[in-house]
Amino acid sequence: MYSIETKSLTKSFGDLIAVNDVSFSVEKGEIFGFLGPNGAGKSTTMMIFTTLLKPTSGKALITGFDVMKDAKQVRENIGFVQQETTVDEYLTGRENLLLQAKLNHIPKNEINQRIDEVLELIELSDKQHQAVVTYSGGMRKRLDIAGGLLHHPKVLFLDEPTVGLDIQTRRKIWQYIKKIHIEFEMTIFVTTHYMEEADNLCDRIGIIDGGKIQVIDSPQNMKNALGNEIISLSIENNANHDSFLVELKKIEFIKKINEDNSKLTLFTSNGTEVIPKIFQISSKLGIKITTISLTQPTLDDVFISYTGHEIRDDNSKFNRKIEHAKMKRLRA
Amino acid sequence: MNSIMYDTYTIFWRELKRYKKSRSGVLIRLIQPAIWIIVVGNIFSETQPLIQSVGFEGEYIEFMAPGVIILTAIFTSIFGGVNTLWDRRYGFMNKALTSPISRSAIALGKMSAISLIAALQASLIIGIALAIGVTFPNPLMIIPIMGIVILFSLGFSGISVTLAATAKSQETFWGMINLLGMPLFMLSPALFPLELLPNWLAVIAKLNPVTYTVLLVRELMTGVSEGGVPILISIAVIFAFVIAMVAIASYVFTREVNKPF
Repeated sequence: MYSIETKSLTKSFGDLIAVNDVSFSVEKGEIFGFLGPNGAGKSTTMMIFTTLLKPTSGKALITGFDVMKDAKQVRENIGFVQQETTVDEYLTGRENLLLQAKLNHIPKNEINQRIDEVLELIELSDKQHQAVVTYSGGMRKRLDIAGGLLHHPKVLFLDEPTVGLDIQTRRKIWQYIKKIHIEFEMTIFVTTHYMEEADNLCDRIGIIDGGKIQVIDSPQNMKNALGNEIISLSIENNANHDSFLVELKKIEFIKKINEDNSKLTLFTSNGTEVIPKIFQISSKLGIKITTISLTQPTLDDVFISYTGHEIRDDNSKFNRKIEHAKMKRLRA
Repeated sequence: MNSIMYDTYTIFWRELKRYKKSRSGVLIRLIQPAIWIIVVGNIFSETQPLIQSVGFEGEYIEFMAPGVIILTAIFTSIFGGVNTLWDRRYGFMNKALTSPISRSAIALGKMSAISLIAALQASLIIGIALAIGVTFPNPLMIIPIMGIVILFSLGFSGISVTLAATAKSQETFWGMINLLGMPLFMLSPALFPLELLPNWLAVIAKLNPVTYTVLLVRELMTGVSEGGVPILISIAVIFAFVIAMVAIASYVFTREVNKPF
């Protein structure tokens, strides 16, 4: 049985199709990263998984329970840590966890022990009796994550767990997530905008754009698929530009070429052998190469190769109808 | 059933914790009713002959004290639902909605906490009233009076939670509250006897649950029956009002929180 399984999952708001016929599954015990540009459908998918939204069509099963028909069982089996911190500022850290424990029906005689256990894990035991108002952003986030763990859910949903935190705190949060994963052997479904984070943390990654899953694989396989090296070069404009490209494509190691005016990005293997060949072709065609570099691909490159842009705000053409549907959705 | 009680108590506990931590809020909520009873009670002290004409012997301030107790209950409870909007804005609601507790338990927990808070505020006003010389012929009557205030506030917290669940913004919520709160208070015998109202206003006042609550509390407090409404009728009206409001609030809340905010 999969921890998460979707079949042709679709959610539309009026004319706007936020999630479009998505089918994938997440294995038990996996850390699964869910990436995509803003407005790609990440949050909508997460809200369907956590029973906050009902799908328009298709199915989503969490630990085998249908989010529509068995919403209560789904809620019993999941933990959800939202993007914004949701702890009650005027309560103490411990009171916040007590509230969370009660919300999740943890048996009375286990509550204290569970709270001690997670406080230990996120290293907040010494601050547990202080009002959350005195906590730093990172401490609040840790408390929020602890709240999602108390009832030992089978699947933990983390929505942008490190957004807005400094780099030290971010690293610390990753450590906690890894620790949690080992200690409780739970499936973790995480959305993030930080590629480095996804690369570090996730067993597999799914990239969604325009409401559709573009690719699912392990970070390493994704990078390998692009070739294990990237050659970036700038050339001076020349009439032979097009034939240069044609010749380059003939080099056997080059897997993909992205073109942006005078800048070319070649995804390749055996880069050190490819570079001399590039120079041979360019001198034959009289093309002047101004700069050239050889780098290892990062997940950023993978992301861009699948979504076509860097992470961005939606810059598609303004469509009054779609904007109206979005506003209605915000107000509804 | 057991679990809905437990869940309701969880939310109730959380709301009361928040109330306890906001000491300034406790005082701020007292200012308006304190002004009513101290200032308005004295401004209108010359109207004693008017209230004597309906068989009330005491001072005006003793006549209007029950009205101010109810005023405190109305406004504390009708404002009480506002944190529903904050909860939806800042994620607590989603946290509760993704946990296994039932939706109506969230609404019921909020309402019961609001009504208890309203009763606490009202009891502070009773203290102020006693301090400025209002007397209780029978001090034991404070027990049924508090019971009625809790019950009545539960009804008004239902109105508040209903409005907060449907309102998409703070502005809409406050607008609706102001639209409802003051007229319901004014169209009741809180400040002047029902007998002195023009006929058409008296008819409207008789449709207002606040009227029955004020009459009942006044009768318990001063021993003077006024307006010709039997106690049992008043109690029945209050019960019907509370049951209706709690039912509507639970239904509307459950329906509204299932929509994205």
